Amino acid sequence: MYLLTAIRLGKRRDIPLNKHIRKLLDSSWAELTVRWFLGIIFIYASYHKIIEPAIFAKIIYGYDLFPGFVINLAAIFLPFVELICGCALVLGIYPRSATLIINGMLFAFIIALSVNLIRGHEFDCGCFSFGETGHVSPAGQLLVRDIIYFALGLQVFFFNGQRKWCIIKSGFLKI
Amino acid sequence: MTGRVGHPPYIGHSQVSEVRLERSQMNRFTDIMSYKNMTKELVILLGIAIVIGFTANYFSPKGIALFGEWDTSKGVITAKSKEDVVVRELEITDVPVAKKMYDTGKYLFLDARSYEVYEEGRIKGAVSVPVGGFYDVADTFIEKYPLSTGIITYCSGRECDDSHELAQYLFDEGYTEIHVFIDGYPAWKAEGYPIE
Repeated sequence: MYLLTAIRLGKRRDIPLNKHIRKLLDSSWAELTVRWFLGIIFIYASYHKIIEPAIFAKIIYGYDLFPGFVINLAAIFLPFVELICGCALVLGIYPRSATLIINGMLFAFIIALSVNLIRGHEFDCGCFSFGETGHVSPAGQLLVRDIIYFALGLQVFFFNGQRKWCIIKSGFLKI
Repeated sequence: MTGRVGHPPYIGHSQVSEVRLERSQMNRFTDIMSYKNMTKELVILLGIAIVIGFTANYFSPKGIALFGEWDTSKGVITAKSKEDVVVRELEITDVPVAKKMYDTGKYLFLDARSYEVYEEGRIKGAVSVPVGGFYDVADTFIEKYPLSTGIITYCSGRECDDSHELAQYLFDEGYTEIHVFIDGYPAWKAEGYPIE
């Protein structure tokens, strides 16, 4: 929330901000780069989950946070949300809403990772897919990476200039 | 000669930017994104994802059921995919039952985990057949153990379906008497049964 507030404040013209940062935040090219970067990352991220939904379902189970009846539905649905939103960002179709969805997923993922880090729950071991045990995802690294993606998503969400190469632009946001 | 007479006034680079800026500012007032618009966009994006997702899953050869089996008290967990390897009828759900079968000496115990994990500890007398490398050793295995051999596969517990997958490979090769000890090495070790 602090990050969100900081970015919102940064977008307000009456608040002094380093002119280089202001220029970067207002740059259409920077917005395009971030939007394409996030889009491609999410298209790539969806690929393996779509190809192997059963393995993805087991990974969701491994988080030990969700009731059983949700796991398969999430494994079917979430990879396609990533794919559609990733494509929407690359093509410039409703970029603000696509970013909102992506950041919603990132936020949920950050919470899930944090909960498991705090309670020391190990998850995503190799026994779920390749017959190996003892493999644990580096949750700390994942957390940092997702917070960076989340911040990039905020830049796309709050960007209020002219977006480049958009098929269907989102309207302007009152900040 | 007055060639330039009648031409529109020349618009410089900075003036073009100003024109664009004005248009941008004009849009700010005419095209404000409302919550209603955003909701509409979210519904469209999520709706497309739902429709494509469930359709693709239905037709995909690797598609999964809408609801899986994630309760370990009922056996090995499974997403119930179209390629599902979990067969409940093969499962030995009690550790003492597995021990009784072990004591008869009629069954060959196969460890479906990786060789490194097998080396760290295994059921005494178990043979390592990592599920990922089954077809590398299949010929040698069939030569050594006749198709009539009674086999019990295991891996690391009820969250692991490698033992079931190995059982299916063995069925494909022609073995007929196969069981899956679903609690695997951790439960065997916890009971204090023979390990090495």
